[in-house]
Amino acid sequence: MAIEKNYYTIDPQGKLSCYKCGVPLVKGKAKFMYLDNGFPVELPVCPVCGFVYVPEELALGKVASVERALEDK
Amino acid sequence: MSQIQERGSTHVYKVNKISKEEMDSMVARCVHEDPPFCSAACPLKLDARAFLEAAAAGNFKKALLLYEKIAPFPLILSAGCEAPCEKKCRLSEIGDGLAIREVERAVARFGEQSRLGMVFRSKKRKSTAVLGSGLFALLLAGELEKKAYPVRVLCEEADEEAYLRAAAPFLDGEAFRLELKRLRGKDIQFEFGCALTPELLEETRGSADVLCASWELTQQLFPGAQSVPELVYCEAERLVSGPSEGVMGAAFAVKKAALTVDRLAQNLDPRNTRGQEGAVDSKLYTDLAEAKELRRVPVGESGYSREEAIREAGRCIRCHCEECLKSCAYLKHYKKHPGLLAKEIYNNTQIIMGDHQLNKPMNACSLCGQCTVVCPNGFDMARVCHLARQNMVSTDKMPLAPHEFALLDMLFSNGEAFLCRPQPGYETCRYVFFPGCQAAAIAPATVKAAYLDLCARFEGGVALMLGCCGAICDWAGRYEMEAQTRDFLDRELAKLGDPTVIAGCPTCLKELSGHEGLKLRGIWDVLLEIGLPAGGHGLDRPAAMHDACGARGDAKTQEAVRELARRLGCELSETPYEGDRAPCCGYGGLTAYANREVAAEMTDKCLERSDAPYISYCMACRDRFARQGRESRHILELVYGTDAGAPPDISEKRRNRLTLKNEVLQEIWLEEAMEKKLDYPLRWTDEARRMMDDRMILVEDVIAVLEDFRESGEAIRDEDGLLVARRRVGNATFWVKFSPEDDGGFLVRRAWSHRMRVEKREG
Repeated sequence: MAIEKNYYTIDPQGKLSCYKCGVPLVKGKAKFMYLDNGFPVELPVCPVCGFVYVPEELALGKVASVERALEDK
Repeated sequence: MSQIQERGSTHVYKVNKISKEEMDSMVARCVHEDPPFCSAACPLKLDARAFLEAAAAGNFKKALLLYEKIAPFPLILSAGCEAPCEKKCRLSEIGDGLAIREVERAVARFGEQSRLGMVFRSKKRKSTAVLGSGLFALLLAGELEKKAYPVRVLCEEADEEAYLRAAAPFLDGEAFRLELKRLRGKDIQFEFGCALTPELLEETRGSADVLCASWELTQQLFPGAQSVPELVYCEAERLVSGPSEGVMGAAFAVKKAALTVDRLAQNLDPRNTRGQEGAVDSKLYTDLAEAKELRRVPVGESGYSREEAIREAGRCIRCHCEECLKSCAYLKHYKKHPGLLAKEIYNNTQIIMGDHQLNKPMNACSLCGQCTVVCPNGFDMARVCHLARQNMVSTDKMPLAPHEFALLDMLFSNGEAFLCRPQPGYETCRYVFFPGCQAAAIAPATVKAAYLDLCARFEGGVALMLGCCGAICDWAGRYEMEAQTRDFLDRELAKLGDPTVIAGCPTCLKELSGHEGLKLRGIWDVLLEIGLPAGGHGLDRPAAMHDACGARGDAKTQEAVRELARRLGCELSETPYEGDRAPCCGYGGLTAYANREVAAEMTDKCLERSDAPYISYCMACRDRFARQGRESRHILELVYGTDAGAPPDISEKRRNRLTLKNEVLQEIWLEEAMEKKLDYPLRWTDEARRMMDDRMILVEDVIAVLEDFRESGEAIRDEDGLLVARRRVGNATFWVKFSPEDDGGFLVRRAWSHRMRVEKREG
């Protein structure tokens, strides 16, 4: 059920940056929460403002499948 | 209300509301699992359908194995069987019934005996003994051997040949030889030349756990002994024995006796758990149109040859009921007959902890009711799924995700896009036109034309109500929301002086008929009465009429729409599954939202009926057929000479409803419309629009994200230099990938969403 820690597959070269703070995103600790369930994950996060990025492939892939599994609980 | 509260937790433990008795009575209507008529008539319960299928395929070995399940000596049974199966064969209603017994004889003669299950078979611990000879004793010894009991046979005869002769003197040379070989091959311990005395019986009783005897011997040793017929057991004498007449009588008595032996060997009362014995009635339905060959293969003097038996067995139509599966894309998709699927869906509602694996099938039914019409027993899958959905809602186990978009759409229809106005110049009205949410979304110009026409031709005032009838929340099983919607609409109707509702949609008509005391008519009825307006015209080539599931059981509506089409000059071609038997387009029951794959199969099922353009009287049908590339028109488009054109995407459907509301407010009620205008240009790539439609992301959701970005400046710059911003709207987070344009506008390139919340974690 846990979501893969996939920072390096998302941004292996560190090319993502925060538009507002102008700094590169770093591997950071984040948490997905749904229907009273929480999953600690590592995602690209802005070290200054804390913006957590959920890329398209992750949202439509693993996140969507965990959502569906929880919805049917 | 423009948001719906997501359930707070998956840890909810509530009891169910559906009664098991109610579900059982619904499930019992499905006759798919009833036995075919031939098997039902057989007191020995031969699986005749599988037997004939194997024989027809030339697999006599398998056929013989099936036959041996009821007959330890197949040639004896087939020689003396009275074949009650043949009398019940459905083919006899339209031609010659199948010669099942002759096929059995051929299989018994030509079939190779399978050694399957005979080798390395461990014997039961409890032993049995059969005293005496005759048909009953022989068949019982064979049956007990088949059940893996150690069997001793004590008889007066000198050898197996004499024993078999005494039991089956009617067997001819070849059959006798074959059955003798079979008898010798059986693992039965014979003691020949015994003097069958009371002493021998008592002595045997000491060494065998269950004692059986021929009826003749029982009478001889215990004159006046009484056997319980249903048990074939003399209780006082503790002897499994009973009278039997003829081969069939003996074979059936042996079946009962063997079951009695089972119970006695387990030290149980032989009356315990015997199940249903003997012939039964079957309610199975069979479509006799599947019969190809009606004439029986003639039987020669020595019975069928192998080839003749194969041909005769090939005439079997394998009686089975699949009427609903033939017509319903949903049941076909899940490859399950509705009795089984209903049971599984009911069980799904009973799960308190764990995965509800049947949620998807439960939410995929279009609740259209077609199965109830095509099922010979009126099985109602719609009721099963609808009750199950309501039950899931009541126990707080229903996921919101599959239906949330549709429910929000309904809240939009009855919120921002809702309109209720009496005709200018009236405070209350005699009529109110209720076109339905999909008509306003898909064909707003048609709605406007229809309303103006009704206003012009009716006296007493015609009000307009743009909104949703409540079918959406009804389909979703959200009964509390449905009651709120009903109250809301009733209040609005009361303000208009409780006028007669002229519905533009058969589903609205059906849904609104649940309102107490509401006067209702379909616009098709009204138009037939007052005549067609000028400007309408039919199609210039033959078209297929698609009946709406909302009008199932409403022959008056179905005929009224056809009459309108004819008056418009349409030539309607006949298609299979018309009227009450029509399939759903895939919109009904919110299938289009909850399970797009099944919905697409439903649409295909509708369209495979004809290559002609489709005329429908439900706007959702019109829309789904057009989306699939078929020329598709709503009857009101033909009546008013309008063309709604290409099907709108999900955002255009909302915009159409708002635009219609604003237009009529300005043009008819001369009111200032409140239109929100963006103060920056917003552009889309084609890919972005397709993606949004596919992922159910509205233009409004994208605007909400961009508004947030403009205010906060929060975004990610990706490796291509594009910006990605996000915003939580209701129960979902929307992400938009875009590039800012030189004129201050945005070009939207991609959009996605997820329902999970995400936040930074400390530590």
